[in-house]
Amino acid sequence: MEPTLEELVESLTTSGEPQLNQEKLKQLKKICKSSDEHIKHVYHLLMTQLNQGHAEIRLSAFQVVSELFSRSHLFRTLLISNFQEFLELTVETDYEQPLPPPKEVAQKLKVLAIKAVQEWQEKYGEAYKKLSLGYHFLKQNKKVDFQDVRSRTVAERKREEEKQKRLENIYKEKAKKAKTEMEEMLEDIESCLTEMENCFSLLLPDPDQFTLFSNEGDESAGEPITQPSPKPGPSAPDDEQPCCSKDLPKLSAASSSHEANGEEKVKSPSKESTSDESDDDFEAVEESFIREHGLGSHKYTLDIEISTDMKVSENEDNTDVLNNLMDACKIAKNKYWPAVQSWIQVFTKAGISDDSLKCAIDLKKKLEAAIKKQKEMNIECKTRNGTAVVDSDEEDEEFEEVPEKEGYEPDIPEHLRPEYGLDTAPKSTPPAKKQKIHFRPQKPKRNEESDPTCAAATLKTMREKLEALASTSASSSGESSRDGAVQREDELSRAPVVPFGIDLHYWGKEQPTAGKIIKCSSQHRFWAPNELEEEVENKEVEAMLKTRYITFAGKFVPVTHKCKVPLANGSLCERQDRIKCPFHGKIIPRDELGVPVNPEDREREAKEKFELQAREQDWRDPELMREIEQATGQDLGSSKCHKKGQKKKGKKTKYPNLTDLKQKANTSRSRLEKKVFNTGSVKRVISAMNQMDQRRHEKFANQFNYALN
Amino acid sequence: MLGLLWTRLCGLESPVRLKRAESTRRVLSMELNKDRDVERMHENGINTLDIEPVEGRYMLSGGADGIIVLYDLESLSQIPTYTCKALCKVGKGHPDVHKFSVETVQWYPHDTGMFTSSSFDKTLKIWDTNSLQLAELFQFDGNVYSHHMSPLATKHSLIAVGTKNPKVQLCDLKSGSSTHILQGHRAEVLSVCWSPRYDYILATASADSRVKLWDVRKASGCLITLDQHNGEKSKSSSEAVYTAHNGRVNGLCFTSDGLHLLTVGTDDRMRLWNSATGENTLVNYGKVSNDSRKGVKFTVSVGCSPEFVFVPYDSTIVLYTIHSGEKISVLRGHYNDVNCCVFQPHFQELYSGSKDCNVLAWVPAVREPLPDDDGEKSKSQLHLHPAFQDAWSSSDEEG
Repeated sequence: MEPTLEELVESLTTSGEPQLNQEKLKQLKKICKSSDEHIKHVYHLLMTQLNQGHAEIRLSAFQVVSELFSRSHLFRTLLISNFQEFLELTVETDYEQPLPPPKEVAQKLKVLAIKAVQEWQEKYGEAYKKLSLGYHFLKQNKKVDFQDVRSRTVAERKREEEKQKRLENIYKEKAKKAKTEMEEMLEDIESCLTEMENCFSLLLPDPDQFTLFSNEGDESAGEPITQPSPKPGPSAPDDEQPCCSKDLPKLSAASSSHEANGEEKVKSPSKESTSDESDDDFEAVEESFIREHGLGSHKYTLDIEISTDMKVSENEDNTDVLNNLMDACKIAKNKYWPAVQSWIQVFTKAGISDDSLKCAIDLKKKLEAAIKKQKEMNIECKTRNGTAVVDSDEEDEEFEEVPEKEGYEPDIPEHLRPEYGLDTAPKSTPPAKKQKIHFRPQKPKRNEESDPTCAAATLKTMREKLEALASTSASSSGESSRDGAVQREDELSRAPVVPFGIDLHYWGKEQPTAGKIIKCSSQHRFWAPNELEEEVENKEVEAMLKTRYITFAGKFVPVTHKCKVPLANGSLCERQDRIKCPFHGKIIPRDELGVPVNPEDREREAKEKFELQAREQDWRDPELMREIEQATGQDLGSSKCHKKGQKKKGKKTKYPNLTDLKQKANTSRSRLEKKVFNTGSVKRVISAMNQMDQRRHEKFANQFNYALN
Repeated sequence: MLGLLWTRLCGLESPVRLKRAESTRRVLSMELNKDRDVERMHENGINTLDIEPVEGRYMLSGGADGIIVLYDLESLSQIPTYTCKALCKVGKGHPDVHKFSVETVQWYPHDTGMFTSSSFDKTLKIWDTNSLQLAELFQFDGNVYSHHMSPLATKHSLIAVGTKNPKVQLCDLKSGSSTHILQGHRAEVLSVCWSPRYDYILATASADSRVKLWDVRKASGCLITLDQHNGEKSKSSSEAVYTAHNGRVNGLCFTSDGLHLLTVGTDDRMRLWNSATGENTLVNYGKVSNDSRKGVKFTVSVGCSPEFVFVPYDSTIVLYTIHSGEKISVLRGHYNDVNCCVFQPHFQELYSGSKDCNVLAWVPAVREPLPDDDGEKSKSQLHLHPAFQDAWSSSDEEG
């Protein structure tokens, strides 16, 4: 069955879609084509639809209109005879009749309509006077910029080009400036670089120099000689990492050659090593040379990994050099490097790719290399001591591995241990291992002990155990006396400090006058009764004098636990409240995933969640949610509130595809409005205000100047 | 038409009848014609138009931007398409241009060598058309809303001026000074109009909702104050309560024979009065929307058998028969409120000026070859312009 014209127009205009349904449009056109009567009818239908207070309806109606306008002369004459109204409804020519919401659609409608009017004017303007009048009206009175629609691209392009040109000029200027600057600074940078280079070579000879030697030597006679990195000073321990060739794998001729920065394959003849001996920095070379004589074969290939993380320690010999290097490095890092960087940026922006850019890049590379080198050298200043000791393979194990220490941990000699009350405990531990012992002056001890992470705490617990042991064992008198001293010390340390008071004054004694007051039976100045001073005991006063008030404020204990309720974003609640999180209620123990540890808590939580969902369904409109889900492709949980949605479907909206204008935006304002202006609260406010008025009236009822207002 | 011509030929009827019938037909077929255009000169709304009565060829327009433009309405060529050219204008560069909006322009009724203009800059200016020079200047102490010269008078050359001041001033062109003051209104006078029948009869309309008829020779006061209730309602009370409208009265126009007076007011009514007796004829024109704060210039047809009145109605012009109040047609073409319209009696053309800066010419439609063959008409139109063609795509599938 063919749909009627009315149905077609209605379904076309209330689709809410930005584009028309082509099928229906075709049908409509087919009907319109058949007779003029239909066109008239369609015109009236469309005008009524254009009058609707909904931008989407208007947009669709306008689209239909423009389709028909280009086809039918009758439709054109009809529309143009009422062109004022048409413009009012689509282009918003009358400010008192603004386009209806939604805003974006209205804007789109306006733009489309203006474009259409221009097209019509071009095509039919000559034939239809009113159309051109309307066009000129829009152009001249409403200042609609028709040109803008088309020529915007041209103008924009022009503007953009100009902007580009301007920018280019600016960049060129900058580049020029940078060039001159670079020329000025080039010398300084070069000198700085050479300075650094020299410092490096003074501190650490370049390994490349050795490879030079190896090239000279013939491989057949070559006795492989290990050449560890030179030592900067005699005092410094050898900082080489253990070599990979420690166990000297036999005939590992095919040992891989590595990159220069990683490992270095060094083969140098013995005669070279002797020449190296002359260098007093090269003790290790000599040593290794000597070692080598114990080796079975001459045909070893030694792979020596010279670690890159060299460490240079400062000593008297190289202080000046180091200082110099540091200064140079600082300048290079803070001044030259950023400058060079900015030059490169300027050059690249300006599109200059000549020598200056190359020069700048080279400079940057050099600077970076120098800075990196300096960093790699790990220069350590004299002020720091106690560096990590690394044993080399050549030396015997003189030094033990010592774990990192924290704080001040003096080694307590064996013979002194009893004095520190550590007489028994260390026995269980092997003497070689160093017991972590903490000894501190009394005062700061306390807070250390309260910290369970500190070693002092463990010591304390240990000591307490010891004391218990000592008291039960009833050891010798000497020991007990010492024990007593320890106990006293301990108690003293625990004793509270309180301000001095009358109770302390009479500590352990009877207060003679406590609670006694002199009572005068007569208040008269002259006439006094015979019995003079009568002392009366007053319990209250006595209690006052004998008691002491101690305010117990407790101590601040930082909260270590977290709320850990799983949040919507997947993380856990980071709040550290003592008892109750303001967002998630009472804090209960939870595991890493935020699941409560106790099963009853878990149960309770599940129940709460269920209740919350039930509540949420009240305000979540399932239809809207479903729409949003369709639009965004995300699950917002509309399926959860399906039951409610079905109930609501009973009162289906007339045009489900249109944007609902009546639906209030869920803004903070609307929510507040709901709260503030609901009848209950309004009533409450009214009653409160009435009460206030009443009170005032009662208060000032008899004063005429208040009575009036 | 043929019948009329035949009877005319035979001498059976007076030539006036033919003329009247034809002009009536032409007025009724008035439409916006693409062949007739008026050059666009104003940057602002057009307040007033006037066609000189001698030849009916030149038209003056006064705009809200203070500019006065002189148009030539007649084309000497035989081509139907004609744009009315602006012959000259008193534009911004002119030393004596009006500073503010020009409210009224009027030709000197007997010659095109002179015209008058009044403006919100409190002046009335007399211009020499040929040199476009200022000939005379009258200063007032309030905005001039309207002025009018008697189209008839030969014995006096008085210009009635309605200003913000409730006193109507009469300026004598002979002496170059204001000679009379007509006192009686209580608010600004929005419109003044001389009777086309009697030399000394003047009608004034004011914002105090009263319309007064004056005989300028009579010193004691006005002749009649028009009363919309014809005195029935206020017989007991004094004359002071006589009102013509329930709002401001901002338009006045005598019929061409001068026997009746039309007024429009902001109460959205138009009234027809017997100008001799001051009686309300109680013709009902329906609602005539009018919310102008200034004067509205409307016009009547001349030489038609029922006479017509053209009244601005928002952005349209409505055509009523004067005596029956029947709404004949609505002329749509302006895109903003219409301020004034003026009738060209010789060719039955109407010119209208609007706030949308356009002057539109409403020209009688060309007589169609035969009123009954529509098919042929559409065919001829097809030949006329391709834009009139329908553009349905041929295949049924595409629709």
